[in-house]
Amino acid sequence: MIFLGIELPEALTPNLQLMLPEFIVAGTALGAIIPELVLPAGRRAAATAWTSLIGLVIAFIVLLTMEPTSTQFAIHVKGEAGEMISGWRSDAFSIFSRAVIAGGGALLVLMAMPFTRRMDRGHGEFYALLLFALLGVMLVSGVSDMLSLFVCLELVTIMAYILAAFRRNDLRSTEAGLKYLVIGAVSTAVLLLGIALIYGATGSISFEALAKSVASGPPSAFLVLGIAFVLVGLFFKVGGVPFHVWIPDVYEGAPSPVTAFLITASKAAGVILLLRFGEAAFLPALDNPDSGSWALLLGAVAALTLLFGVLSAIPQRDMKRMLAFSSIGHAGYMIMGIAAMAASGGSGEPFGPSALLFYIMAYFVTSVTAFTVIIAVSAATGTHGAAAWTGLARRSPFLALAMCLALLSLAGVPPMAGFFAKFLILNAVIDKGMIALAVIGAAAVIIGLYFYFLWIKEMYLRAPAPETADEPPIAIHPITRGVLVFGMVAMVGMGIAMGPFYEWAHEAAQSLGLLWR
Amino acid sequence: MNPLLLILLAPAVATVLLFFVKEDNKRTIRGIATAATAISLLVSLMLFFGFAEAKYETPEQAAAFTANAGTETEHVYKYGIEVDWVESLGLSFRLGVDGMGLAMVLLTAFIIFAGVMVSYTVQNRVKEYYICLLALVTGVFGVFSALDLFFYYFFYELAVIPMYLLIGIWGSTTKTVDQNYATMKLVLLLSAGAVMALIGLISVYSDASTFNMVALEEHSFSSSFQMIWFPVIFLGFAALVPMWPLHSWSPAGHAAAPAAVSMLHAGVLMKLGAFGILRITCTYFPEAAAAYLPYVGILCCMNIIYGGLVAIAQRDMKLIIGYSSSSHMGYVLLGVASATMIGVEGAVFLMFAHGIMTALAFSLIGWFYDQTHTRMLDDLGGLMKVMPFVGTCFVIASMASAGLPGFANFVSELLVIIGAWQSNLWLGIPAILAVWGLVITGVYLLRAVKDAFFGEMDEKWAGLKDARSFSERAPFVMLVAVLVIFGFYPQPMVECVEQGVKPLVKRLDEGKAARSARLEREAGKTRMVIVPDVDSSKGKPSSVHSINEEGDR
Repeated sequence: MIFLGIELPEALTPNLQLMLPEFIVAGTALGAIIPELVLPAGRRAAATAWTSLIGLVIAFIVLLTMEPTSTQFAIHVKGEAGEMISGWRSDAFSIFSRAVIAGGGALLVLMAMPFTRRMDRGHGEFYALLLFALLGVMLVSGVSDMLSLFVCLELVTIMAYILAAFRRNDLRSTEAGLKYLVIGAVSTAVLLLGIALIYGATGSISFEALAKSVASGPPSAFLVLGIAFVLVGLFFKVGGVPFHVWIPDVYEGAPSPVTAFLITASKAAGVILLLRFGEAAFLPALDNPDSGSWALLLGAVAALTLLFGVLSAIPQRDMKRMLAFSSIGHAGYMIMGIAAMAASGGSGEPFGPSALLFYIMAYFVTSVTAFTVIIAVSAATGTHGAAAWTGLARRSPFLALAMCLALLSLAGVPPMAGFFAKFLILNAVIDKGMIALAVIGAAAVIIGLYFYFLWIKEMYLRAPAPETADEPPIAIHPITRGVLVFGMVAMVGMGIAMGPFYEWAHEAAQSLGLLWR
Repeated sequence: MNPLLLILLAPAVATVLLFFVKEDNKRTIRGIATAATAISLLVSLMLFFGFAEAKYETPEQAAAFTANAGTETEHVYKYGIEVDWVESLGLSFRLGVDGMGLAMVLLTAFIIFAGVMVSYTVQNRVKEYYICLLALVTGVFGVFSALDLFFYYFFYELAVIPMYLLIGIWGSTTKTVDQNYATMKLVLLLSAGAVMALIGLISVYSDASTFNMVALEEHSFSSSFQMIWFPVIFLGFAALVPMWPLHSWSPAGHAAAPAAVSMLHAGVLMKLGAFGILRITCTYFPEAAAAYLPYVGILCCMNIIYGGLVAIAQRDMKLIIGYSSSSHMGYVLLGVASATMIGVEGAVFLMFAHGIMTALAFSLIGWFYDQTHTRMLDDLGGLMKVMPFVGTCFVIASMASAGLPGFANFVSELLVIIGAWQSNLWLGIPAILAVWGLVITGVYLLRAVKDAFFGEMDEKWAGLKDARSFSERAPFVMLVAVLVIFGFYPQPMVECVEQGVKPLVKRLDEGKAARSARLEREAGKTRMVIVPDVDSSKGKPSSVHSINEEGDR
């Protein structure tokens, strides 16, 4: 087979049109640098941003038109006996995840526009890095072996290190980048060690071999350790306790659009990988009672993460920092979904994964809305501490309303998207009979209501501070307004007309575990 | 258009519309809110009067909204509508009411209409006020008419959350209650109850794999499942009733809330809890109900007596009515616990009557509090001289609450007490206590009337304004009229309620029989001599009780 004029070996049976969206995003990422080089300084910001946006939107549209039939390999490297060595596949799950990331990425670019307009340089780099990171997240959804898992994940992570430190003159931003790098490096090392152990136990890097050896009976100590280490690496990405230590400082210090990326797409990368990895490491074990179950461990991590996140969010007096801790809480819910996936019993429906996929969608829209408001408010007041939010409903009712809806969605209140997401997670957990976990999840909802409502109280119940009382309403950029209107409609829409969104997520979840069971 | 959908959509659409109205255009805002609630009220009245004759067009539709068709416990939901929502979860948007639900819808419609009119006095942030109020009432209508477990919970939670802003922004902090504290406590406690119920409801879904509340009624839950989940869901709902000792959010919440919110809160929101207990816990778990309801019979006495005694000690008018509400919800629980036709019917009727009465009382307190800015009995006195109309209405409300014949409350409380006596629950002691509870009610209400409206009047109150114009008097007149009409002619309401209560009580009887049969069987198996006579004494010896639980496992 000839591809781009190069003779490819037989084992590589490329089906690369399946990766068309990834090529588009990669091309756009490179293309986003060009305006930086050729245009005068004043027009660079808009040109790079719009280029990136158009690229992501095209990729999103291409993904929507893709038929999620059966699993197809874009790259499939086979061994001599026909066993799989490495590969990248496209199925309903990966199409769903990539579409969410591409569409959500477009939102991220839009929300970053008013922010990057204020930067004096580095527009090209910013959007190129962001797009490469998004590309990494899109790629993780199709990985079928340990090495591509590692490489795709590192693509996301390394871009994120740079992005976190993007405001290099800002002490907190630099601090965020460095902290992220140091702790991230350790977790990368653990992840690699895990991969090495799994390779040692199964003799292959492919998920296929992992699934087979998991299904064959009690796992060896090597395999258990290997899976545990890989999980550590992924929990680090998602922010599961006790691998969450980097989150508060990095989320607070990083530029707001970058924090939004970390909280949504980067976290989604971890969740998608947990699902992909779980497809090979947890699902095959369900058929064989000897194989043991990871549900208890995952449930314990979920419970810890949840409680830690919501309890530490209570005393926070800075909006970004509060959202950082609350994102740990949300990671707890997401890991609950994974625990439900790994548990046996129940109705046999993939409630856990479909709940999780809906959760990612809902969380994406909600967080983007919240951070768009943060960017607008902190641009006008110079802070995202509590003072900026006191009496906001009087000064800028529109921004306050958007933030209020976002907080309600995060708290899981109907009719917002976050409510149905939490409902699905609890349903998935109870379906597997994990009542204790569900009770902890429910308790966390109440604690969550408390601290989210503290901020709603700050915005709605209190009068503005005397020194800011006479200030004019915060100016809202038309793009910001557009993103916020879209975000509010999407949050309420997904919370009321949740049908099509859930069915989509459900279809994607059903394609998990078809290959190796 | 389906009438129930219309009732639900009128406030929902108005909520959305209000977002697009300019803040200072107060007339339009009030107009939209009044129109929306008027539509809901008119349609509910039409449904109420046409209820007995209402039929489905096709037999398929009728079958979809009839549970246990052809049996003794046949339960028909009328005005049903069904739209598929999330197919792979088996979740559809399903509305429909039986007589019980319709009574509650009608109650809500009366109260919100009066509440919107009473709120014309609100001047501060009018737009946001009505948005919250209408969102809340959308949730309430939804709960009373939902026939899908998911949407039932969806609306339930929707009804709780706007309370936070309503009390937090437009409420009042007084010497007795801090509004920030009260509103946070209310939302957290109610939500805690709600998620507790949610866990139970999801378990119900896991067991029956359907959200359809009609189908769930036909599903038989294993008795061990019932014994585990009945208390969980019951307590979740009981927090909203509020059953002692989960009641502490309620008086503080009432006292801090603005008038219309207190009306809705005491008039309707508390009924959501009792309604959930009847519609979900007792209907799905009749066997467990036979085991647990007698204990509810004890706790509700605490509500009645303790709530009443605390009300006597209060000097803040709103706190008096607040504690009186939890005292009267004790009667509702007593009616439920009696598990007799008359008792449960009385409980539902009392939910209606007490809702109207308490809404009337709170709206009247709101009327003079707006002018005096105090509700303390020690500061008031002689108000009858300056506001004879409001004073008279308040006397009427107090009389109704104390169970004076001629008011709906009398009829319903009588039914509850007869029911409790008939069932021979705990040898009739709760029924006797309930009668004494009425005396206590008389004590605190008559004293409140005396101290606030009669006696010496302070000079500073000379300038107070009575309700004079039509729109000022209309809500009070409407509520008084409802109390009197259903007091003298309770028949339509009793018949309507009976349609929904009958199958429920039949189920409870079946549950009782099933439980005693099981206990006998197990007693035989373990060669025990004790054969409890369930009908005469539901407080069984504890030894038999524990054996039953072992047998279940």
